[in-house]
Amino acid sequence: MNILSIAFKDLLIFFKDRGSALQLFVLPLVFIFVFSGLGNVGASETAVTRLPAVDLDEGGTAVALLQKIDAAGGVKTELMAQSDAQTQLAAGQIDWLLTIPAGFSDDVAANQPTALRLTSHPDADEAARETALLVIDGAAQELTLQAQILTSLQMMAEMQGSTPGPQVFTTEVIQAQAQSQFEAAAARPLISINQTAPGRPDAETAAPAPFSGPNVTVPGFTVLFVFLAAGATALSIYNEKKIGSFRRLLAAPISKAELLLGKMLPTFFIALIQVGVIFLIGVFLMPLLGMEGLTLGEDPLAVLLIVVVMALCAAGLGVLIAAFAHTEGQIGGGSAALLWLMGALGGAFFPTFLLEGFLGQAGKAVPHYWAGKALYGVLARGQRLPDVATELAVLLGFTALFWLVGVWRFDFD
Amino acid sequence: MKKMNEMILEVKDLRKQYGSREVVKGINFSVMAGEIFGLLGPNGAGKTQTISMLTGVVEPSGGTAVIGGYDIRKRMNQVKKINGLVPQDLALYPTLSARTNLNFFGRIYGLRGKALKERVEDVLRVVALTDRADDPVENYSGGMKRRINIAAGLVHHPRLLFLDEPTVGVDPQSRNHIFESVMRLNRERGMSIVYTSHYMEEVELLCHRVAIIDNGEIIALDTVKNLIAMLGGGVIHVGLNQVDEALLARIRALPGVAQASLTTRPAPPPANGGEAADTLTIAPTHPLVKVEARHSQTALINLISFLNEQEIPLVSLEILEPNLENVFLHLTGKKLRE
Ligand SMILES: Nc1ncnc2c1ncn2[C@@H]1O[C@H](COP(=O)(O)OP(=O)(O)OP(=O)(O)O)[C@@H](O)[C@H]1O
Ligand SMILES: [Mg+2]
Repeated sequence: MNILSIAFKDLLIFFKDRGSALQLFVLPLVFIFVFSGLGNVGASETAVTRLPAVDLDEGGTAVALLQKIDAAGGVKTELMAQSDAQTQLAAGQIDWLLTIPAGFSDDVAANQPTALRLTSHPDADEAARETALLVIDGAAQELTLQAQILTSLQMMAEMQGSTPGPQVFTTEVIQAQAQSQFEAAAARPLISINQTAPGRPDAETAAPAPFSGPNVTVPGFTVLFVFLAAGATALSIYNEKKIGSFRRLLAAPISKAELLLGKMLPTFFIALIQVGVIFLIGVFLMPLLGMEGLTLGEDPLAVLLIVVVMALCAAGLGVLIAAFAHTEGQIGGGSAALLWLMGALGGAFFPTFLLEGFLGQAGKAVPHYWAGKALYGVLARGQRLPDVATELAVLLGFTALFWLVGVWRFDFD
Repeated sequence: MKKMNEMILEVKDLRKQYGSREVVKGINFSVMAGEIFGLLGPNGAGKTQTISMLTGVVEPSGGTAVIGGYDIRKRMNQVKKINGLVPQDLALYPTLSARTNLNFFGRIYGLRGKALKERVEDVLRVVALTDRADDPVENYSGGMKRRINIAAGLVHHPRLLFLDEPTVGVDPQSRNHIFESVMRLNRERGMSIVYTSHYMEEVELLCHRVAIIDNGEIIALDTVKNLIAMLGGGVIHVGLNQVDEALLARIRALPGVAQASLTTRPAPPPANGGEAADTLTIAPTHPLVKVEARHSQTALINLISFLNEQEIPLVSLEILEPNLENVFLHLTGKKLRE
């Protein structure tokens, strides 16, 4: 009962804070629309894939596109003549070919939809092709969307500015984080990518399921936001110690376990509400606006289970942060930056688990990666509970670790 | 009404250590049921640490205490139901209303429903804030916050209330109000109170008995009256240009004088609990003689005529009022606060 009293009080405080509403409702809303239905690209420095390209446009935007693809890091473009390229592709000497259509630059300038073409050899490596596709896609979106992104950033900054008091997001943090993460972000598919097989240059192959719709993007930032709730716990514990109410709690006839659980429970609820908000927007609001809606995949129960474990994990992470962070800066900006970084590493903006190399490996060190992979599997790949059992088990492992270390190292003084 | 000879709190050799630094050095005292007991001491003396140990906020490093018959090292959960704590900081949730705050603190003491509601209304009346009870605490004035801070420690009707410097930063009006509340709680409800302060006026006014604490040690413990009696007929500080042992002996022999000794100019209490010895090295501009009088008026008259006869110029003269501030000065050579 004491646990509930503490949790209820914390939720009251949380909802009285306008920053909370921003975190809980506005940010996910911005994300879900900005990311609407497109995978996005982070940089990979290690896995360099050769990407032969044919530039039929020869305009400035085409050159910029190729530069951006190269700058993204995972892929290195190689300009070829169209005839050479097609011969080599047919012969299997190259695995795939990017074709920039004539008039591409003009279309982009005129805000006209235009399509790039990625032609693959049937034997081409699937994962590498997905990577290349994502890189191209990200670069393409970046070309047209900087203005839109800046607008949404400004909007968030304004909302932040009007929120008093210390909070998980500071204006600088959110801008720095969002700016770096959004740099490769995408909004409306002004530039689309058609995928074709050689020999049938105009017959489009069906885009593979993982790369369409909010089912692809929602898992990543759902994970990000769920874990952001950990920041709220850490902050509320910090504030409680700062104002001294923590002494009152320690002097009251409640056990330390009740006290900690009472502080963790709100994170759990906030995380669940967070997911609820994102899913409601995805499932109901997006179709209403004529966009592709979110579906809960083949196994909604698995989704629920993943979400619950994730929320428990976030609660543990909150106490862990509270146990190790001691200054206001560490708690506020520091933990927010950490949580955004972990989110990025774990695949919030780009499914890192599709990557080979450093980024794909580094992600494994954060719970976001496993939560994201499981949720991605269930939502985007139509997997069921047994298929994501490993990911769920690892996530449970993280949860247990966070709880144990968090409680063990927690400073009650 | 509880009998005054029943002990509600008995502190036995209580210690607190941080690393190698002992901040509470084995203190002993007891508080009778129905008593207002003062802990008077300068910044960093160890008042808050003592209260924190007695209320279960921090673990003692040694020794123990018995509260309401329960040993705090063994039965803290029972003790916590007897204790009420009003921390030195404003330990309230600023964005919540006073009533929501009080409801919460009542709930964590197990109060529910009608009982909780009644208690909350009751303590709001005690601190006279019923009509502002639904405003967020952050919109309160400093004095009002202090009053709600006290109320939050009262909701569960503790038998033993710890008030840690409840009047810091408070305007005179709120301060008087707090005094009245404390006295009323004690008189009408028989609540035993441990009251810490570094304002001697408060302690003199409120407390039946006082422990003077400095550097983690209790250096005196008695009723206010007896402590002040330690100053005897009073203390007179006389500044002279030159003092030697012979002169001191002649002053001691004067009628009404009990003792005369060289003293140092009162130094401010050491910053952040540093070694007191450091501050005593500050040299006075001229020698200062501390004259302890059996009868201050007699002593004063004789002292002045003696100095006149001997043609010894008087550089300064100060008659210390018989109060706790000067008891502290007398005991430690330091001022309680600067
Ligand atoms: N967590 C801690 N770690 C180390 N030292 C501490 C800690 N808490 C308090 N102290 C030290 O213990 C000593 C006593 O502190 P305490 O807060 O009890 O003083 P106080 O008498 O309440 O003073 P004040 O009138 O300023 O409130 C101080 O020197 C303080 O620096
Ligand atoms: Mg104190």
